[in-house]
Amino acid sequence: MSRLRLPLLSSASTTLRRRRSPRSSYSSGAVITSSSASHHTPPLKLQSPLFLRPLSHSASPSALLSFRRWAESLARSSAADLTFDGGPSSSELIREISWLLQDATSQDGDTFLLRTDLEDLYRLWRQRIEERRPFQYIVGCQHWRDLVLAVSEGVLIPRPETEEIVNLAARVEGLQDGMWADLGTGSGAIAIAIARMLGENGKVVATDLSEMAVEVAQFNVGRYKLENKVEIRQGSWFEPLQDLQGKLSGLVSNPPYIPSSHIHGLQAEVGRHEPSLALDGGENGTDHLLRLCEGSISSLKPGGFFAFETNGDKQSEQIVDFMTTQWSNSFHDIKIEADFAGIKRFVTGFRR
Amino acid sequence: MLLRSHRKRNFRLMAMIRMPPTWVMRIFDGVYSHRSPPVLGLRRTHQYLTSIRSSSSSSSNGSTATTTAGDYLRQTDEELMNQCEMDTFKSSGPGGQHRNKRESAVRLKHLPTGIIAQAVEDRSQHRNRSAALSRLRTLLALKVRNPIVLDGYKPPLELLQILPAKSTIRGSEAGSQIGPNNPKFAMGMQALLDLLSTVEGSVSTAAKILGLSTGALSRLILSDDSLRAAVNDLRTSKGMRPLK
Ligand SMILES: C[S@@+](CC[C@H](N)C(=O)[O-])C[C@H]1O[C@@H](n2cnc3c(N)ncnc32)[C@H](O)[C@@H]1O
Repeated sequence: MSRLRLPLLSSASTTLRRRRSPRSSYSSGAVITSSSASHHTPPLKLQSPLFLRPLSHSASPSALLSFRRWAESLARSSAADLTFDGGPSSSELIREISWLLQDATSQDGDTFLLRTDLEDLYRLWRQRIEERRPFQYIVGCQHWRDLVLAVSEGVLIPRPETEEIVNLAARVEGLQDGMWADLGTGSGAIAIAIARMLGENGKVVATDLSEMAVEVAQFNVGRYKLENKVEIRQGSWFEPLQDLQGKLSGLVSNPPYIPSSHIHGLQAEVGRHEPSLALDGGENGTDHLLRLCEGSISSLKPGGFFAFETNGDKQSEQIVDFMTTQWSNSFHDIKIEADFAGIKRFVTGFRR
Repeated sequence: MLLRSHRKRNFRLMAMIRMPPTWVMRIFDGVYSHRSPPVLGLRRTHQYLTSIRSSSSSSSNGSTATTTAGDYLRQTDEELMNQCEMDTFKSSGPGGQHRNKRESAVRLKHLPTGIIAQAVEDRSQHRNRSAALSRLRTLLALKVRNPIVLDGYKPPLELLQILPAKSTIRGSEAGSQIGPNNPKFAMGMQALLDLLSTVEGSVSTAAKILGLSTGALSRLILSDDSLRAAVNDLRTSKGMRPLK
């Protein structure tokens, strides 16, 4: 039994994971589909996630082992400074070292092939500890549901809580072949996961105001070969959806919902490194959520489904209150759903 | 496709792949590895149970007294999950956009049998759930015993498929031998253990029934660590020497 629990982080498991990911042809630049003609900035350069880079370096086992020892001791000696604002514990950091090495290396006999040079690994780990740079930005990816999504500075790292929004959408019957929208798509996480479970005729329009998000989402859509199912558009909330008024079968969003006054006290990985455009929800945190509720009246078709993520408990109740009092003619079956930690995280319902 | 790859990652199966040298383990697992089972700040998630129960026409009501391990193993992942209670890390604080933290460990308790399987090593909870589920399948095969009637016993196809070709009762319909890396191995293992427990742990009696020499059946048993451990537990409980 104890043996069954033993996680074998050999390079074999790394290879398996890698084989499962879609092949990426890292195209010269993501195409930006812009809804407004005024955007003519050239494509931003997205740094390729570590695990997709070529194995163009090598290192001896002993050199890698020294790196591992150094990284662990740095993790252990600094952990106390990190945990005070909710940062990672030393055992979590040590797990991250294993993951970093999984992404960065591939074993070839007695040597290791590396996707970046050893010096860079030292530099990256120092950034992790000293600058609190999020692990997912260090390796350039986040494992989310059964996806491995590219992420980079300027784009929110998809949260595990958000995985549930896809299950909520999956439970809805009869809308699999309709048009769905994921507003504020960030890395494209929700849009991609939903697109993969829609029917043959189902499509997703994914939007974001941030140019970086649009680029990263486009990259991820391409990696999963969903160009024909997910269309990325740039713009603010419903503005890029003018042509889809009253036509949406489903509308999902994880909009910024943290009250502005809380942004300062956030864990350094979040507050210092993730874009505030993706986090700040205005004074009560509900600015964007309310916009979305209101906008879904005109964009959902009758019977259409919506699911929004919220800051939890009170905020969910507030949104439900608002929808049942102000817009009770427009929606029905409004419900609150909990996340895996039992927090009332999502509000769902249907357009009348 | 997800499930397939997860079965490949199933730890029992991973163990069959040549163990890497210790220095490799040290690089990947570290000196202070996270190999010990995690301390789960348990949080019971009934949500999975209820959501699936209410929406599926599942046949698994668990009310029949004759449910066998094979019945459990033949269920789809969703049906099996339906019989489980899932525990995940309890996350403290507001979570969501506030936090950057992986709390991906999953522990499944199979309610009809009380068997627990968990997975912690993956970065995604979704994957840990699949890994825990595939571990649960292995454990069900290993731990749930159903005596069989020896009179007129015909080994099921799943058992024939894991036997070596030289077995005299193995027809061509069994195809080529299925090894421990194949997800179907668990089903065959379960049937073999049922037979062995019915013959009170006697490898030679079971071998005769399966048209094999005692040596050939022993080799099959020893080829898989978890199968060997289960057989030896059985033999020890019957006062017999363990196989080496
Ligand atoms: C919390 S993030 C969610 C990202 C992604 N959907 C996820 O769940 O990982 C919120 C996203 O909304 C985007 N956003 C912020 N203001 C917006 C606006 N006015 N219109 C469209 N998107 C906006 C941000 O750029 C960010 O990508």
